[in-house]
Amino acid sequence: MKVSLGPITRIEGHLNIETTVEKNKIVDARCKGEMFRGFEVFLQGRDPLDAQQITQRICGVCPYAHAIASSYAQESTYNLNVPPNGRIMHNLIQGANHLYDYLLQFYQLAALDFIDVTAILQYKGKDADLLTVKNWVQAELASGKSYPAAPFLPRLSGKYIKDKDLNIGALKHYIEAMEIQKKANAAAAIFGGKFPHSTSIFPGGCTQNARIDLIASYQSLIHEVRDFYHNKYIPDVLAVAKAFPEYWEIGASKGGFLSFGLLPVTSEPNSERVFSSGALLNGDISPVNFELITEDVKHSLYSSPSGLKVKDSTLTPSPHKSGAYSWIKAPRYQGQMVEVGSAARILVDYHQGHNPKVKKLVDTFAGQVGIKPSKINSVLGRYLSRAICGAVIADFLLDETERLDTKGPTIADIKIPASGEGFGATEASRGALLHYIRIKNYKIERYECVVPTTWNASPRDDNNQPGAMESALIGTHVQDPEDQIEAVRIVHSFDPCIACAVH
Amino acid sequence: MDRREFLKLGATLSAAFGILNLPKPVIAALKKIEPQSIPKLIYLQGQSCSGCSVSLLQAASPSPLTLITNYSQLAFHTDLSAVSGKKALDLIEKYISGKAGDYYLAVEGAIPAKMPEACVIGDKVFGQYLEAAASTMIGAVAVGSCASDGGIPAAEGNLTGAISLRQYYKQLNINKLIINLRGCSVHPDWVWQTIINIVKVGLPELTDQGSPALFYSRKVHEQCPRYHDFQQEIFATKLGEGGCLFKLGCLGPDTAADCPNRWWNLSQSWCIAANAPCIGCAWPNFARKKDFPFYRLSEQKKPIERS
Repeated sequence: MKVSLGPITRIEGHLNIETTVEKNKIVDARCKGEMFRGFEVFLQGRDPLDAQQITQRICGVCPYAHAIASSYAQESTYNLNVPPNGRIMHNLIQGANHLYDYLLQFYQLAALDFIDVTAILQYKGKDADLLTVKNWVQAELASGKSYPAAPFLPRLSGKYIKDKDLNIGALKHYIEAMEIQKKANAAAAIFGGKFPHSTSIFPGGCTQNARIDLIASYQSLIHEVRDFYHNKYIPDVLAVAKAFPEYWEIGASKGGFLSFGLLPVTSEPNSERVFSSGALLNGDISPVNFELITEDVKHSLYSSPSGLKVKDSTLTPSPHKSGAYSWIKAPRYQGQMVEVGSAARILVDYHQGHNPKVKKLVDTFAGQVGIKPSKINSVLGRYLSRAICGAVIADFLLDETERLDTKGPTIADIKIPASGEGFGATEASRGALLHYIRIKNYKIERYECVVPTTWNASPRDDNNQPGAMESALIGTHVQDPEDQIEAVRIVHSFDPCIACAVH
Repeated sequence: MDRREFLKLGATLSAAFGILNLPKPVIAALKKIEPQSIPKLIYLQGQSCSGCSVSLLQAASPSPLTLITNYSQLAFHTDLSAVSGKKALDLIEKYISGKAGDYYLAVEGAIPAKMPEACVIGDKVFGQYLEAAASTMIGAVAVGSCASDGGIPAAEGNLTGAISLRQYYKQLNINKLIINLRGCSVHPDWVWQTIINIVKVGLPELTDQGSPALFYSRKVHEQCPRYHDFQQEIFATKLGEGGCLFKLGCLGPDTAADCPNRWWNLSQSWCIAANAPCIGCAWPNFARKKDFPFYRLSEQKKPIERS
């Protein structure tokens, strides 16, 4: 039978998944990105310095990642000498954004897949927040209205956590996380101007000053976020893993892994990064080469040529194209399908033995939950990876703040040449992000983006190889073929953003 | 409401807001919030980046949780709803067909008027939902610049013909209340405080652009703490400098929004406080024209004609 799972909720954007289910098993899955805007078209002919502002609007969840990737691409194109403060401020803003994003994803987006929200009705304690929610849920259920307690109910059928204390604890943390994520963004906004959509990020640095009062406020907020990570978020991830151990074996993608590296430690071009870049294909790691990226469109709603490299990329929308099912293109690395995201970032860094803090956390947690590091390629592995990334990032950010020079410049002198081109690559929360800009006559001639969820939610390529998420879904057992909560849990583990994927 | 119900409600709200010791007139005013009358929001996204939704979760006080339990109800939202798939479509359909009671339609994102397939939810194009909702909704809230004016998807040269909610309804000769809450992203207060106003007092006073006057009646420039620098001609000549940012391209003089007074993100910052020129994200023509870039890096550049 064919079952459409869309609209998928608790993700970003318009995602549908058409599954074919036989005897409670998904035998086919097609990921459909269902919203198109066409940034790469309307960026053409604009002033290049508009780019890091406009591309932020590709996504309001991870806008800073786009601002940073665009800034890196422009820095390369303009040959800017980025002052150390400028690079540090980029890191402080982008890193804080990762911290909010992982929390939002685990609690507000994913938690309701596992936590039994109705457990609040059994709460007998004195916590004011929990009592408020309990009273609200009771009043809602007694009200006789359609869809009481929305948006937290109704929900898909499935097995939820039974342990009352675990449920109540997680609900309390859900409420707290809603407050803490604000603080991470407030920290980012101290240097970024505002969140979402920073106005102070430019190629070459930031317009904000490296004032000691701003630094102190930032540190204080990040400390609070870091404490929540270690005392509540990471224990909750481990608790969910303990309650659903089968999800170490569910949701593995069937290709390679790609990371572009995150948080440069110096302001030199090609600086080492806190998380290293790399392409992990068939167990072998190699340095990333952007020339090896192509985008197929056989199953995508474009009549423009298929298999183009990023520098040559183009798009012509074809909304009624026969055989196509998604607005998302199918990027491939050396012709191979890859997964990107926190799990990919961890596996690439771990495989290279690059960051000892990453290795230590992976080995510690893998030991605690009794898995091999290769099991990071799973539903639970992705949640664990985000928590590990956040822990490493939080510590790095606090160290970074100490490296700001309160008397130094925070932004390069920007002079835009008549022509030039450049790549800018980073890791958004959801994975490998690439921007490419080409300038002619002082205007943008071409602007191309390959975004994390473009990789993850990609449709089949010209050789009919499924994308990462499709490959993770195919073969999954689903108890209820209509609701398919197992499939929805797999999708949420990838943390998809369709606005990004299509752009 | 009888006395017992009022006391029960008061106790719940007191616990939620910690308002045990407020003056009597305020407590009396709280009688106005009947649980059944809390606005239910069917929140649908068109050509959107979800930035406005994320921004709504950055509300300081009341908290986002309080706002969606005590002042409104998110009957459906892509980012927060537990349910998905056919059950979610049934929920939306029940409201839009008028069978689930009163509701407001909240729209985030633009509408692709020239390419309807550029935005699909379930098995229908976005426009079909908007058209059906028009006859059953109390009114609509256009959340953010995309829904209010077209925003970035409507930038010059776009291929989808992106337009605002107001323009879309006008094309269909639909004449319903739309409150435009501009901003890219919108500030959480501009949305939530409008909803609180509706719940406790009624429809807020709107500007002739359809936006609540409380937030949108004065230009950024008129309220800017650097207005003194503007008057004294202390101008930043390079990015990263302080002083008035007008010569770098600041669009404060064109943009109606109360950012200089409200600040952003738990009042930690706002654009100009970070020495970042205003790019006019709450201006109806935000980012529209290719030949009107956000910044001027040097005085020698010719001033651009503003359309």
